[in-house]
Amino acid sequence: MIRIFLFTALIILGLHAVEIPTAKATKRAFFQNVKLNAQIIQLPNAKQSIMSQVSGHIEKYFIKAGQKVKKGQKVVLIESITISKMTSEYISQKKQLIAQEKNYEATLALYKKGMTSLQALNRESITKDGLLAKLNALKSQLSILGIKTSKLIRASAKFILYAHSDGIVSKISLPTHSSVSQNTQIISLLKDKAYYLKSFLPLEYAPKIKIGQKIVMHENGKNIISQITQILPNVDATTQRIVLLSSIDKKAQNLFINAYTSATLYFGASKSFISIKKSALSFFDNEWVVFIPIDAQGDEIPYEVRVVEPVIADESFVGVKGLDEGEEYVSDKSYYVKSMLLKSSMGDGD
Amino acid sequence: MVTKMLNSLIDISLKYKLLVITLFLTISAFGYKAYTEIPVDAFPDITPKQVVIYTESPGNSAQDIEKLITYPIESAVSGMAGVKLIMSNSIFGLSYVSIFFEDKYDIYFLRQLVSERLASVSIPNGWGKPVLGPNTTGLGQVYWYQVKDTTGKYSLREIREMQKYIVTPLFKSVAGVEDVISWGGDRKQYDLLIDTKKLQDVSITYGDIVNALQKSNQAAGGQYLEFNREQYLIRGAGLYKSLEDIRNTVVKSTAGQSVTIGDVATVQSASAPRFGAVSIDGDEAVMGMVLQRTATNAAKVVEQIKEKLPTVNAALPKGVEISTIYDRTEITHKAVNTMTSALASGVVLVAIVLFLFLFELRSAFIVIISLPLSLLIAFLLMDYYGVSANLMSLSGLAIAVGMIVDGTIVIVENSFRKLHEEPDADKLSVISDAAKEVAVPVTFAVLIIAAVFIPLLSLDGLAGKLYSPMALNIVFVMLGSLAVALILVPTLSLLLLKPTGSSENAVMRAIKKGYTPFLNYALNHAKPILVGVTLLFVVLAYILTLQGREFMPTLNEESIMYRVIAIPGTGLKHSTEISKLIEKHILKNYPNEVSSVLSMIGRSEKGETAQANYMEVLLTLKPKIQDLDALTKKMNKDLQSSFTFVQFISTQPIAMRIEELLEGVKAELAIKIFGDDQKVLDKISKEIQSALSSVDGLEGMELESQLGQATINIEPDYLALARYGITVDEVMTLIRNGIGEESVTQKIEGIRRFGIVAKIKDAKKDIQSIKDVTLRAKNGSIVTLEQICNITVKQGASFIKRENLSRYMLLSMEVEGRDIASFVQEAKEVIKAKVSIPDGYYITWAGDFKNMQEATQRLMVIIPITIFLVILLLYTAFNSLSKAMLILINVPFGFIGGIIALVVSGIYLSVSAIVGFLAIFAIAILNGIVLVSFIDELRVKFPDVDLKTLLKDATLLRLRPVLMTAFTTLFGILPLLYATGVGSEIQYPLSVVITGGIISSTLLTLLVLPAGYYLLYKKRR
Repeated sequence: MIRIFLFTALIILGLHAVEIPTAKATKRAFFQNVKLNAQIIQLPNAKQSIMSQVSGHIEKYFIKAGQKVKKGQKVVLIESITISKMTSEYISQKKQLIAQEKNYEATLALYKKGMTSLQALNRESITKDGLLAKLNALKSQLSILGIKTSKLIRASAKFILYAHSDGIVSKISLPTHSSVSQNTQIISLLKDKAYYLKSFLPLEYAPKIKIGQKIVMHENGKNIISQITQILPNVDATTQRIVLLSSIDKKAQNLFINAYTSATLYFGASKSFISIKKSALSFFDNEWVVFIPIDAQGDEIPYEVRVVEPVIADESFVGVKGLDEGEEYVSDKSYYVKSMLLKSSMGDGD
Repeated sequence: MVTKMLNSLIDISLKYKLLVITLFLTISAFGYKAYTEIPVDAFPDITPKQVVIYTESPGNSAQDIEKLITYPIESAVSGMAGVKLIMSNSIFGLSYVSIFFEDKYDIYFLRQLVSERLASVSIPNGWGKPVLGPNTTGLGQVYWYQVKDTTGKYSLREIREMQKYIVTPLFKSVAGVEDVISWGGDRKQYDLLIDTKKLQDVSITYGDIVNALQKSNQAAGGQYLEFNREQYLIRGAGLYKSLEDIRNTVVKSTAGQSVTIGDVATVQSASAPRFGAVSIDGDEAVMGMVLQRTATNAAKVVEQIKEKLPTVNAALPKGVEISTIYDRTEITHKAVNTMTSALASGVVLVAIVLFLFLFELRSAFIVIISLPLSLLIAFLLMDYYGVSANLMSLSGLAIAVGMIVDGTIVIVENSFRKLHEEPDADKLSVISDAAKEVAVPVTFAVLIIAAVFIPLLSLDGLAGKLYSPMALNIVFVMLGSLAVALILVPTLSLLLLKPTGSSENAVMRAIKKGYTPFLNYALNHAKPILVGVTLLFVVLAYILTLQGREFMPTLNEESIMYRVIAIPGTGLKHSTEISKLIEKHILKNYPNEVSSVLSMIGRSEKGETAQANYMEVLLTLKPKIQDLDALTKKMNKDLQSSFTFVQFISTQPIAMRIEELLEGVKAELAIKIFGDDQKVLDKISKEIQSALSSVDGLEGMELESQLGQATINIEPDYLALARYGITVDEVMTLIRNGIGEESVTQKIEGIRRFGIVAKIKDAKKDIQSIKDVTLRAKNGSIVTLEQICNITVKQGASFIKRENLSRYMLLSMEVEGRDIASFVQEAKEVIKAKVSIPDGYYITWAGDFKNMQEATQRLMVIIPITIFLVILLLYTAFNSLSKAMLILINVPFGFIGGIIALVVSGIYLSVSAIVGFLAIFAIAILNGIVLVSFIDELRVKFPDVDLKTLLKDATLLRLRPVLMTAFTTLFGILPLLYATGVGSEIQYPLSVVITGGIISSTLLTLLVLPAGYYLLYKKRR
């Protein structure tokens, strides 16, 4: 009896000696990435398209086929009812807003003098805010199309497209005065010196890749972002890896062609998993386990061993099966719990 | 015949008095010289004849090491002549095979034999080379030191280098030093951090880099040329001189463009992976252990090391010095001091007793002089036979102190009495007659004492090694005393003794007055007394069988040490942290008792089998601690409750090594479970564990769990390999060199050598990074390890132990408050009832208990033989079997007191106590001989006197010598009973038994023996 008591005392003391932190299992989305070897290459005759962003009527080309263009140069003028609608609506909304602001000021003055109710003031305020929100929505839509609202005084149907990179105009797809719908190619640009990143990806990642995923190149401490534009159909014969081409849009300084570099491919968010801290995992009796605190009686050890199956991991978290959301687990120093369990099964002290 | 020989010996010595005295003076001088020169040790050398083979195989797992290294070695050395036992332990990175031989062979011969056998062992390339362990004894670690940097300028790595290249060679040059073991700090190596992604850029493989390294870094000799009549030597100096040389090493070259190592790797100096660390007072440190060679003397080796210290300190940089941690001579001196002071006070006490009995200076002088003389003769013999002065051998002398004088007493007393009885007779003839009268019984008595201790010499194993020096010394000193008694004492008696008015003094008269009525009563009631005493003996003998047993009382080394065990698989970094915490805790909570704490974590460089979860913590205590026992108990409890996640097992430096020598079992008691499958073994041991937990007296149980080591298994997938054109060899090279950091070549800096390692960058961050390690095949394919191997995490063996080529698992136990023998008895029954053991599996008991059992079994055979021998001697002396038996009856009389003393003081029956019983055996017989021989003599002289009267007179006349021999023996042993120093606890049971035995033996001899004689001979008249 005395021994049992002593042993319990030992364990309680022991718990005081080493504080064992716990945490609750949470759902967490895992962002997966993979480190790659990549080569900087330059592809001649790389085609780029200038697409129409709105539907409308092609009014005028500022360029001719075969002409060299620079990034930001005017390319085409489109008359678009959409643009006209948007700009006129913007202007009218703006006017309405100004009027409403005046109304609101007046009501506020009256309210301060006690000549109108608070409800009336609130009504005016809500109307004002509604108008402001609509105006802001329009403003952002217009700015995506490259129309600066600050200079917009009157409604206009004119929409100018600019070249997004340097190149030679190889083809003008649509004649002047023809109609164009949204997201149609209008002009093909041929870039004479386009930088690409040629990344080599292990075959096992094949199902996960998509065009448009981000590849970040790490070069001399700088991170340069590129986007996958092409997944080559042939695997690289020597390295037996999938080859990805991603265009480097920004003209980066000191990029040397054919240089190898390291890069990281980000797959984007995957599913959410019940996740625990990596420091919680322990390998016990041939299985991965976490320890769950429980209420113990007598000389029992207040932890339960729970077998888990790690599914996914990033730097500091592991997605696991075998644990419920919100369950408390030992998040760190699981070593001490393991010691405690192993020692008690050794029969030490009693 | 014997009588004749002895008579002429006495005659000759009485004739050449001067020669005899000169002879003994010379012997004394040589004896004294031997005494000063005799090697001193704490313990006799108890090491079994053992040859250790260890094979360092860095980075390899226990399973593979067992298969590829341990088993081939074991099978090569098995079946050699004289092999008693082969034990092995395969752990992560090391194979350890230990062969125990029969003691009769020479160790150098055995080492030679083993090396020859080793030559035939084939171990795969790159898996290490078997090496014989240092030729040292189990207690060979005689001197521990720290290489201490007082300036704080040097890194641990630099200090470790100093230890290896400055301190070690200097200490190794000391005579008797077999080896110096370095522990702690870390070793420098040069890392080539290879970014495997770059291999694709420059189209090379990992193997190309390894090849390039191997092919560079070479030296060559180009003989010489003669020019202008002179000779010019030609030397190709291609060894790496700088890191730049390594960086510029060409890996591949095409058309004038070359890829160098610098292109694909960063070259830098780093630390090699390590398996052990040392921490002192909360900081990591570097220490060394000096190993003494077999058959050298520890004290001498340490002394010479200390002489070398100034040289070593001078060779070390300023501010770095050697600081002693543990010095074997301290305990040695303490132990020897305990024994020599016991011996000295024994001599003084005996002298006082003698004087009180004889009350006459001259005779007392003769007896007393025989004491140091016999001891000096013993020292002379010790020196001759190479017995060192240690706890056990000196205690042999201390036990014998009282018995040394017995022979002399008898002769002197007889001469003294005769001179008194016949004052007018010729002195020479009186003395000669007196000496001759008792010469035969004295000789036989001494021979019998010697014979009684012979069983100890025949003990095997540890017990034999411990107790045979004691027995040998008793034999030596008894032989010495016999020579003194027969040769010198008659001469001295002739020269010194004078007839006095009365041979009796007041003390003797008083004793006789008190004793006479008891004697009368005994003679009148001979039968009932004999029956009563016999019954008493039978009852006590039965009680003795119930008494607890133990092998050897624990030696108190006046130091505290802990074996600390964390769960298997604990990393070295964490163990080191734990050790630091323990050290700080002890220093903080015991500032008045502890001055320094040392932890040794994992293993040192040479063939130790500890893993990273194992720590040894040694406390350096401050002087003058009042109650060490209480402190130890308090600390045990405190530590165990403060650090619940590890196990503390308290021990002491020598005790620990002795425990280890008990055939690899570091526990008092253990069960070995034999069988093939580790998982089954694990299951059985767990079942036994739970079955035994209910057995009373079990203080702690520790399963040496061999499983529990998490292992990342990288299994090549042959199909995948084929797909990419990669060989298994390439993968294994990558694992061995790239991940396992085995050095490819060495950078030689003067005499210092440092490994150059082709290491893969960031490979050991976590499990995922192992999977992501990239490989480039010769044809250009780039694959990760995961693509070509099945990588799984599994629970593997952390070590595999084998005994005589069979795997086993060890369950060690601590038993307290109960003797081990009865515990084992009960445990055996419990296991039989509760645990089912499958076919092919079996258990055996090991540890201290086994030695006790072996010793007992052997004694069961040898003691009857000894008794027979004693009877034979007695029969020769008395020419009568019935008298021989009559004398033998005294033995139970002695045992009665011994058993009572043992039971009353609650001491376990240990080998030490058994030695006590042997001594009683001798004393009882001595008493019997003295009395019986005198009765016989009187019966011859006065054939007509009534037997009862004759017996009474004889006993009264003989009372003084009997009491004197008894009291001298008793007072000789008393200092051992009250000794408190180091080593005293080992002799305590022995002295308790002897004290009890002497009292009962003397009393009963004086009463029961005459009665017995009366019963036996009253009818024959």
